[in-house]
Amino acid sequence: MGSWRGFGTRKAELDAEMEAHKRMAVADRASRGDAEADARAAVDREMGNLPLVKDVTRDMWGWVWLERLGQDVRYALRQMKRSPGFAASVIGTLALGIGAAAAMFTVVDHVLLRPLPYKDAGRLVLLEEGGPDAKIFFFAPWADIEQWKSQSRSFEDIAFSSGLEGRTYLEGKSAAVQVDANAVSSNLFELLGATPALGHGFLVEPPSFAAGKNTGTIILSDTIWREAFGGDKGIVGRVVRVNDTPYAVVGVMPPGFRYPEGTSAVSGQVWTAIRLGPKDRERNFDSDYGVIARLRRGVSVQTATAEMATIQKRVAVQYTDAEQRVDHSVVRVERYGDSLIDADVKKALLALLAAAGVLWLIASVNVTNLLLARSMARQREIAMRGALGASRGRVVQQMVVEGLVLSGCAAVLGIGLALVAIRLTRSVAPIHLNVDFSTQVDFRILAALCGLTLLSAVLSTAWPALIAVRAPIEPVLKQGGLQTGAGRRHNRLRSGLVAVEVAMSLTLLVACGLLLRTIYTLRHVPLGYRTDHIIVANLSIPSYRYVEKSVTASLYQPLLERAQQLHGVQAAGLMSEVPLGQTFNIVLSLRMNGSNISAMLKPVTPEIQPIFRMKMLAGRFFSKDDTPTSEGAAVVNPAFARLYAPNKHDSSSLLGIKVWNLRKDTPAHIIGVLDDERQSSVAQPSQPEVEICLCQITPGSNIYQPSTIAMDLVVRTDRPTAQMIPELRDLLRQASPELANSTFSTMNQIVEDSFGSQRLAAHLLEIFGGAALLLCVAGLYGLLAYVVTQRTRELGVRIALGAQRGNLLWLVMRQAGGMLIVGVAAGIGLALASGWLVRGFLYGVQAHDGWTLAGAAVLLLFSGLVAAYLPARRAAAVDPMMALRSE
Amino acid sequence: MKPEREKYRNRIDLLQGTLDMLILQALQWGAQHGYGISQALRSRSGEVLQVETGSLYPALHRMERQKWIAAEWRQTEQNQRARFYKITAEGRRQLAHDRSKWETMVAAISSILEA
Repeated sequence: MGSWRGFGTRKAELDAEMEAHKRMAVADRASRGDAEADARAAVDREMGNLPLVKDVTRDMWGWVWLERLGQDVRYALRQMKRSPGFAASVIGTLALGIGAAAAMFTVVDHVLLRPLPYKDAGRLVLLEEGGPDAKIFFFAPWADIEQWKSQSRSFEDIAFSSGLEGRTYLEGKSAAVQVDANAVSSNLFELLGATPALGHGFLVEPPSFAAGKNTGTIILSDTIWREAFGGDKGIVGRVVRVNDTPYAVVGVMPPGFRYPEGTSAVSGQVWTAIRLGPKDRERNFDSDYGVIARLRRGVSVQTATAEMATIQKRVAVQYTDAEQRVDHSVVRVERYGDSLIDADVKKALLALLAAAGVLWLIASVNVTNLLLARSMARQREIAMRGALGASRGRVVQQMVVEGLVLSGCAAVLGIGLALVAIRLTRSVAPIHLNVDFSTQVDFRILAALCGLTLLSAVLSTAWPALIAVRAPIEPVLKQGGLQTGAGRRHNRLRSGLVAVEVAMSLTLLVACGLLLRTIYTLRHVPLGYRTDHIIVANLSIPSYRYVEKSVTASLYQPLLERAQQLHGVQAAGLMSEVPLGQTFNIVLSLRMNGSNISAMLKPVTPEIQPIFRMKMLAGRFFSKDDTPTSEGAAVVNPAFARLYAPNKHDSSSLLGIKVWNLRKDTPAHIIGVLDDERQSSVAQPSQPEVEICLCQITPGSNIYQPSTIAMDLVVRTDRPTAQMIPELRDLLRQASPELANSTFSTMNQIVEDSFGSQRLAAHLLEIFGGAALLLCVAGLYGLLAYVVTQRTRELGVRIALGAQRGNLLWLVMRQAGGMLIVGVAAGIGLALASGWLVRGFLYGVQAHDGWTLAGAAVLLLFSGLVAAYLPARRAAAVDPMMALRSE
Repeated sequence: MKPEREKYRNRIDLLQGTLDMLILQALQWGAQHGYGISQALRSRSGEVLQVETGSLYPALHRMERQKWIAAEWRQTEQNQRARFYKITAEGRRQLAHDRSKWETMVAAISSILEA
């Protein structure tokens, strides 16, 4: 039962049944002596309206709705074919709304609700230490972790890990591959609920200072196993070398497993077992660990936080240094999943999701308006159906099915749009935001999308349908009913909807305007250096090769010399981190002139100043005369001078002051003060900074280690970037094979990337705002065009009675103006109220910036009036004779 | 085509409980086709009750779906092919239930009228 064939058979059966009834009744009457014809007529009378009887009987089968649905779908398709323009505008509008919402939803879902590759990941939390008002939390030393492990009851287990120092390279079959290497406690994998795909992994044993069962062993990630060893199944038990140290492979993790998640740009990971060292016996910064714990079932983060607060009171008193005691007084328990999402990105995405939602609403309102208009135009048809006995429910159902067919098409188109949008977004998404746009629309998204579609369809069809069927039948049939009171009320309703659209569009336009102004302001902040014609290579340095020998003498100097000889290179220099690079920074804490100083430290080469064309406020920059054997030199920035110069108004008063000791008995004096530069963010003023000459850093100096981890090669060239990069990469490969992994960028790109979430938000809001404006103008035009058609006769009468054409033009424009003004006024209110959503992304402009508000309002008013002018002109051009004759 | 639908609907509603009971009762006497049922009800009621086709067939098809009655095609005595209905076990239970309800109702109404 329930199939179409079954339905057909049963229909035939019912016909036969009725036919038999009739024959028997006629035969009965005939046998009683009636004439054949009389008997037939009497039976017909008795049985009444047979098709109706059959129809009602079929209702009893319970699945006739399926047949009706089929009829309705066919009817809807016929309607679409009859007015393709209308169908196209409805589908296009909805597709735009659905597409935007789906695209944003996909991205937000992927970033915010990313499933972690661990068992029951919701119970995984990070434990970090900080001060009472801390914004930044720190890893914990072993001494503290040991006490947490023994005293806490909230956790099933606590594991810890730390990244290996410096960059790490694994020697594969053919080349050295950069890997993200972490030393982990042996219980980590069990805690995460992950088991190796190959091998047995680490044997769980308590952390110890002595060599244990896991010493000298390593676990590989699936990526690195495939990349470096070609997925060799016999890898377990073999010896591999990481930074020249041999390890025996005891496991390969399954595909998709990562830990830590999303912290490193390097895709391949390896894990070794932690062996506690002498440093771990005391509490210091040199040796601390990232701590991850699994909450016991039913224990909340709050409960765990409360317990850790009690424990930490006892732990913190064991810090001997008073300042450190405060800095370690609080333990933060944070869900691991939450810790992976950058708060800035999260805010940006949620705001954009809201914007996409508004666009979807606008689209829905617009479609509702279109369908409302059509249901008015179809009032006669609906009234006729009512008169012929169609129930209200049936008519509403039919119109909702029509809406569903329309929005079904829109959904398909919307998915396409969403896919394209995601693809486009990927190209504008800033790299360091760590937002992965590679997502495909998955099944959950499709489900959400279907929900949206359904909602769109019901919202935009059921309502107009209900209004239409509630209209009384008779007056409509009698005189077309176009100028009835109900018609006017619907026009008011539709005007209201247009005003709502205008208001929402204005909100989006204002947000877009504010972000565009932010980007404009950011682009025009004086950076303090030039960014054109500069290529930056973030070097991937094989640190382990330079533990004993000087990286400066054996790698950097020869590299620079060769780079400078490349064709087209005007200058080449090195810098630990280019301004706005956001790759690596070294914070220097020291005492100078008896006061505590904290500043960023950057080793640089003398060529950096001419490359970036940085200006000096006082003194000089480094030069060829600064050598390992000459007197120690340092250059500082104005932020440093403002805080620490003896004479706050004269930065030159710093010159000659000793900053620190490069080595024992080798003091470094300040030789120059740079002009202000934007170093970590365009939007933020610089922090104190100290630059020292790279050549003066040697293995014996205080800051040797960092210079082997992070270094940018900076090249000023007049040749195209695309030509230069391969040559530079070749040069790097010749210097050391690992360097071929370096990432290249241009200084202009780095500055653009630093705009981060603002740029992403601005680009998307341009699209959303533009689409909203378009929809809103289309909505306004649609309504006025409809009203003018509806009032053609009235307009004709007015002209016949002597109204001027100008009056008619004014009549329509006045109506448009009313809607626009109401909408804009409401929109300004809405924009002001939603200002907090964008405030966090703004720079150099207030959330309630008058100019932006006014600009968006004027743009909307102007586009609205242009849209209104076309129907208004048509109204003024009505030919009274034609108008009166029509209908 | 369907101007009288509302009218039919109302009549079915009004008669529903009673009509079901009467049809089930008629089928107690033996399997019967729709025309036969209407004739039986008419003659047994002393020509008072005239069940209309518009009520009868929807009721039959509904009760068939509810599994109170089952249907099959058979030959009548006049060699006509017709759809015969017969009462099921479930239909008998339903009839018993409807009857006791009906009798309670009749007793209640008569006690009011005779009070």
